[in-house]
Amino acid sequence: MSAPLLQAKALTRRYALPRTSLFKPAPDLVAVNSASFSLHRGETLGVVGESGSGKSTLARMVMAFEAPDEGHILFEGQDLNAVSSQELRRLRRRFQMVFQDPFGSLDPRRSIGWSIAEPLRAMGEDSKARVDEALEQVGLTASVAGRYPHEFSGGQRQRVAIARAIVTRPALLVADEAVSALDVSVQAQILNLLLDLQDELGLGILFISHDMAVVASICDTLLVMQHGHTLEAGPAHEVLNAPTHEYTRSLLKAAKA
Amino acid sequence: MIEMQSFSVSFGAGEALREASFVITPGDRLGVVGESGSGKTMLGLSLMGMAPDAAKLSGKLRIDGRDMSGASERDWQALRARKVAMIFQEPMAALNPLRRVGETLCEPLRQHLGLSRSAARARAFELFEEVGIPDPEARLEQFPHQLSGGQRQRVLIALALACDPELLIADEPTTALDANVALRITDLLVRLAKHRNMALIFVSHDLAAVARATAEIMVMYGGEIVERGPTRAVLDAPAHPYTRGLLEARPSPQSKARGPDGKRPRLTTIPGVVPQLHDLPAGCRFSGRCPVELPVCAAVRAPVCAVAADRTAACHALVSEGGA
Repeated sequence: MSAPLLQAKALTRRYALPRTSLFKPAPDLVAVNSASFSLHRGETLGVVGESGSGKSTLARMVMAFEAPDEGHILFEGQDLNAVSSQELRRLRRRFQMVFQDPFGSLDPRRSIGWSIAEPLRAMGEDSKARVDEALEQVGLTASVAGRYPHEFSGGQRQRVAIARAIVTRPALLVADEAVSALDVSVQAQILNLLLDLQDELGLGILFISHDMAVVASICDTLLVMQHGHTLEAGPAHEVLNAPTHEYTRSLLKAAKA
Repeated sequence: MIEMQSFSVSFGAGEALREASFVITPGDRLGVVGESGSGKTMLGLSLMGMAPDAAKLSGKLRIDGRDMSGASERDWQALRARKVAMIFQEPMAALNPLRRVGETLCEPLRQHLGLSRSAARARAFELFEEVGIPDPEARLEQFPHQLSGGQRQRVLIALALACDPELLIADEPTTALDANVALRITDLLVRLAKHRNMALIFVSHDLAAVARATAEIMVMYGGEIVERGPTRAVLDAPAHPYTRGLLEARPSPQSKARGPDGKRPRLTTIPGVVPQLHDLPAGCRFSGRCPVELPVCAAVRAPVCAVAADRTAACHALVSEGGA
């Protein structure tokens, strides 16, 4: 098998909590405790857990928005926290993110064409043709580039957010609860879109969700987290069919209810 | 207790709710499902007399036999909280961040019920116990941001129960919560409804939560009630193509292998998008997206057909199946 697209080695991230006593050091909250995984091109890794499990902190470290206190993140073999800032800027086009709330992540006063082109501008390029192509890739038409976010439904807005993420032709897409705010039928459409894009572009997807049913539909491997700890990890069919941890079973039960 | 008859809510030419009719009696647990724009929230707001001012209302709404069609804000105020109460999706937005939750909870107790400060305090303590908030004494002193999402939702439920309403409308009460917490909140609502013989309207797009919480279900699409009946029966064997589509679009937590070509099976979807209020089809609202559409559907409203003794669905295809 080829070298992994993304590799996390014993990632740990702590946040300082407010001091409880003058005479003791401030306590730490361990948001992510020694998480390790690898993700290959064209595959999807699901990170499952509830609020406070550390899954979003993990995503922020993968995106190099913040650095781990311990451990390493290798993207295409390069340690994201060891490369120069210029090199990191150059690498950023190769990994992009889609957020939960398409209302919050699109500027209401800018046309969606402008928003989609933003990552390109950050790289010092601006290509109308590339924006149009990205719009077509997510199932919209190039003619909507001049419209504003309020003219779109929730599902269409999430398509726009995905277009912005793929406009730089990334190898890795980090989706943080990207379908959680959507209606059931729209959710299915967006999941299918992600699968289509994966087949078409060979994207590796890090898919963060609290919903076992959603990750079951698109993930190859799973990582179950609780309070920063990795409870279990492995091929999706093993985790789903034979969960070893009580917490995983309770998540599955909640999804089946 | 509550009776709606051909009740419509419209904005200009767009009907957000089209001729809804149903009856609620004490102890009923009714689920209302549908996606964004289906009219389910408008239905809940109408029952609270809280439809937006710009909306034009028609049809009949009776609460305890009294016609509320032309009721004033003052009439509604007398009913709200005591008769009908509502909880909303986002508990953080519904609570005043600058007030301790205990103060927030005591306000309706003193205003509506005229309790003294200490009596209101004692009642607030009981309510917190009833909705399963541990250590109520300490919690009453806390601010909303100090509580978890599930506990905030419990505070809102306590607030809604403050004046012992006969009907509780829960609008997407579990949507913003983690799966395990959502289950506990759903179970709490059911327990409270049974224990108090209170009617519950559970509005949600989450079919699993509705299945767990309710005995009867109404499925809404484009402002219309397209199917109704006992929850179990409707979800086990949906009669309306939209209900079927919704159920099929739900992902299941079973693992799915990639095919021999390395591709993953796709999820079943309902093609197209929910139309905007101003360009809803004149006939059946689901026409244009429906897999069993007939030529008549786009222009003519679907008749309400009896699917079983206690079930109906509004669909032209059901009529032609029946040989009519």
